[in-house]
Amino acid sequence: MKIFWRILAVVVGGIFVYAGAVKVLDPVQFGLDIDNYKILPWFVSVRLAFYLPWLEILCGLALILGFLYRGGLSILTALVFVFIGATTAAKARGLDITCGCFGHASQHWSFGQHMAIDLGIFFALVALLWIELVRGVHNDQKN
Amino acid sequence: MKFRAVGEAFVILALACLPAIGEGFYFRDKASWQSPIPESELVTVDQARAWGSGAIWVDARPDNEFAADHVPGAFSLNEDRWNELLRQFLPNWSPDKKVVVYCSAQSCNAARDVAKRLRDEAQLKDVFVLKGGWEEWGKKNR
Repeated sequence: MKIFWRILAVVVGGIFVYAGAVKVLDPVQFGLDIDNYKILPWFVSVRLAFYLPWLEILCGLALILGFLYRGGLSILTALVFVFIGATTAAKARGLDITCGCFGHASQHWSFGQHMAIDLGIFFALVALLWIELVRGVHNDQKN
Repeated sequence: MKFRAVGEAFVILALACLPAIGEGFYFRDKASWQSPIPESELVTVDQARAWGSGAIWVDARPDNEFAADHVPGAFSLNEDRWNELLRQFLPNWSPDKKVVVYCSAQSCNAARDVAKRLRDEAQLKDVFVLKGGWEEWGKKNR
């Protein structure tokens, strides 16, 4: 079972490394994608566009390498949670948004496709976090 | 476990700042830091009107809004019917004319997106976005 969780962590980490790398190449476009949500002022969106992709890459690497693993896992879970909330709010406000999550590949995804992928990733992260929590409690009891 | 996770999270959050700052420095001239549209690509209603017949107006709003009212002489060019409307628009364009694109208001994205596609896909030069959009035009023409 341990190998299953390890593979899941590497796959999820790989997804975030890819997603971050795609956005690092075109931060200006990613800034426009964040701006489309109409939640943040532009000067915040453009700065986040330079920061978030690197955060995704580092967290993804943390999951793959197992170094700073819990920190990376916690940040990614929070990020995806916020992203699902922002996407749902944008949809409710009738905004036609392009998330730009995976660059051009995700440009023509429907809202349903976005949500299915985001929820899948979110549940995988929550499961990994849960397992880590259980292991932590188990180790504490041993000690 | 909680404290360790929080500590590690802070380390990652801080580490991510370094490449982000470096990339920001690299893109310092390419990114527009104060507005999604660089100031050089914006035009005010007064400036655009002063261009007179040298300006060609493009309405990036949806068909129904264009049908309700628009800037006199403007061409409808929205992303819903991009190919069809672009074919109708291009014969009216000439290299000596400045293109002024507008959408509903300052906060809309349609004008910015249409202007970008006119530059990138149609290879047009001198494409500007109207500051304040149709809302601002209405204020100045009441």
